[in-house]
Amino acid sequence: MKTRIYLCKCGNNIADHLDLARLAERIGQAHDQVEVVTVDFLCSAEGTEFLSHDIKNSGAERWVMGACSPRDHEQTFRKAVESAGENPYLLQMVNLREQVAWVTDAPNRAEAKALALISGAIRRVRLHQPLSDRELEITTATLVVGAGPAGMKCALTLAEAGRRVILVEKSPAIGGKPVLFEEVAPDLQCGPCLLEPMMEELLHGKNAENIELLTLAELAEVKGSFGNFFTTIRQHPRHIDPAVCIGCYECIAPCPVSVTDFSDYQIGRAERKAIAFAYQGVLPNAPYIDGSLCLRNQGKACSACLDACPMPGAIQLDQEESIIARKVGAIVVATGATLYDLTALPNLGYGTIPEVITSLEFERLLAANGPTEKQLLTKASLPPESVLIVHCAGSLEAAHIPYCSGVCCTYALKFSHQLAEKFPGISITHLYKELVLPGKSAIALAQRVQAQSNTVFQRFASTADLQISEQDGRIVVRSPEGELVVDMVILCPPLVPTPEAGPLAEQLDLSRDRGGFFEEVGERLDSASSKVKGIYLAGSCQNPGDIREAANQGMAAAAYVLAGLVEGRNLAVSPVVAEVDQKLCSGCRVCGSICPYKAIAISAVDGKGAVNDILCRGCGTCAAACPAGAITCHHFTRSQIMAELEGILA
Amino acid sequence: MNKPLETKVVGFLCNWCSYAGADQAGGAQKSYPDNFKIIRVMCSGRVEPEFVMQAFRNGATGVVILACHPGDCHYKTGNVSAVARYRLLKRLLAQLGIDEKRLVMEYISASEGERFVEVITKTVRHLETTPTVAA
Repeated sequence: MKTRIYLCKCGNNIADHLDLARLAERIGQAHDQVEVVTVDFLCSAEGTEFLSHDIKNSGAERWVMGACSPRDHEQTFRKAVESAGENPYLLQMVNLREQVAWVTDAPNRAEAKALALISGAIRRVRLHQPLSDRELEITTATLVVGAGPAGMKCALTLAEAGRRVILVEKSPAIGGKPVLFEEVAPDLQCGPCLLEPMMEELLHGKNAENIELLTLAELAEVKGSFGNFFTTIRQHPRHIDPAVCIGCYECIAPCPVSVTDFSDYQIGRAERKAIAFAYQGVLPNAPYIDGSLCLRNQGKACSACLDACPMPGAIQLDQEESIIARKVGAIVVATGATLYDLTALPNLGYGTIPEVITSLEFERLLAANGPTEKQLLTKASLPPESVLIVHCAGSLEAAHIPYCSGVCCTYALKFSHQLAEKFPGISITHLYKELVLPGKSAIALAQRVQAQSNTVFQRFASTADLQISEQDGRIVVRSPEGELVVDMVILCPPLVPTPEAGPLAEQLDLSRDRGGFFEEVGERLDSASSKVKGIYLAGSCQNPGDIREAANQGMAAAAYVLAGLVEGRNLAVSPVVAEVDQKLCSGCRVCGSICPYKAIAISAVDGKGAVNDILCRGCGTCAAACPAGAITCHHFTRSQIMAELEGILA
Repeated sequence: MNKPLETKVVGFLCNWCSYAGADQAGGAQKSYPDNFKIIRVMCSGRVEPEFVMQAFRNGATGVVILACHPGDCHYKTGNVSAVARYRLLKRLLAQLGIDEKRLVMEYISASEGERFVEVITKTVRHLETTPTVAA
């Protein structure tokens, strides 16, 4: 098989260390049907032009480039081969620069090594098969799970590009955790003012028709892969059509059911009816019926809400759970985070002492749309005179949460500022392990707070050392650092993944890190991409973070979708993938268990494996594991590697 | 033995970390024994025990498998599979009368060019001064 070998001088980089004329001669002596050409700069514009022209007229069937690392220019040379009308995979590179010229001192030894490597390449390339991308039709619609800042920003960005988005939200409301905040740290911007325009845009903006919002919904099943996911969504009955409802509240008062509302919004400090708005000003601006509370589900006849409703069709008492099927090309997971459950640290008194609250509960007590409408009172119905804020409550501790969430210190300072403004003269103690205040505005807030009178910052070592108890209507905090009596304790626990993260990871085959957050491809450069092709990550489900990071990652995920799925462009599936020879497969299932991408489907009938080439990334681990030798890893086949081995050892 | 055989060492390097590490050593022009020659695989998980055995059959004194550090594998867990296979193969080599020290596996990241040179130099020098038949 006629094989043409190009030796690149790379200026003097290779030519100074190797006598290329002599090397060419020795290659010719050692191999049949070879021709050797020496070129000054193979990767330059002139070099690739020459290459393309030369390949076309050479009459050779295989090409070897003795040049630099294939990590540098394999793609360049493949393009040149392709532009000559030949198959780009019929090429093999020899790394003469990094592996010979630059690292071998004795010239005669360099020549021997170069000859050996080229021999390996010649033997290998003669076994190369022409390969080409497989083209696959795709759908560009995208499923976004979670309508917090990350999911909303992602959906809006995609919608603006004209993409169809299915936005699935488990709660009746959009906005995620930040809708709980009255003011946003560190610049104390009004929370609702920040979020509402974005939420309005999502619901009623000029691209809103591209977004199908499904509240009270969850992902039930996902099949298929990048470009063509077949998803099933389960939507629980809301019993109210937000498109018809005018948000007039007429239906609420007539409802005969009344219970304490333990939702994130009302935190057990307000009553709710079976039909209720999640909170005042919620978007979508419509109530929902909690089926577990509604009398109709207890066999009683009641239509009080329906009777009061002025909008025919807004309330649908007989609505049932619906199963919705949607075909999408990509999935963005933006399910957010929640607070670490501090009942795991009973010494803190959380859950037993009502005045010991979490940061999110405190946010609600300060919120105009919260259960107390901004009233913050002690048990004796008096304004608090002293408050303790515990940073790092359960974080930076091996027995609980080892990491730092990076957002708590900033909002703890916000609390301090809000309390001092609301209750002049109040004394505030901050207990912290580490003060973490990144970004361009947090330090300014910290300096303001530290200048407040009656505000003390004190370091503590371990949450386990704190003993918080109730005594004569006040709260006593004992620690190795001393004793403190306060009216209220605000605990700032770390952010942890939501309980849905586990089941979702299983459904989507996503890996999770030690903290339970979804694992990204690259912590720095690819944090919005999961390890499964076509599934992207945004916001605190990937890493604890703030609104800014969530929104940015939402847009990053949208960019991945826009770049990866282009209307009218087929998906190119790489041919460098594994393939199972069904005749040789014994059905042992080893490949299915070892594949890092679950790209091998195992037949339920005979256990035989079949590779999904869209999911396969061509690592070849299955090929090495198959005891029957039934798996070929294209372009890195057994015979190709063996031939290279024989060549370099000859 | 009258005439010592030439020491030949073959390395299977994963494309993403170890091969890049070797490229870094090259870029820094740090020389290492020229009788170490590299075969590039996409992942250390691609290395079949049969490749190693074939290398010995073809006269290799030693075989080196270089992989990404645990947790850094471009293919999530390919290096984990590679290590499991490596450990098993080491035991098998001893049974076949091949000194198990002739097979070496190390983790080399893309930024560990210097370590790559150290590991290769140490391994090759060791193999050059050690009889190649198990005691």
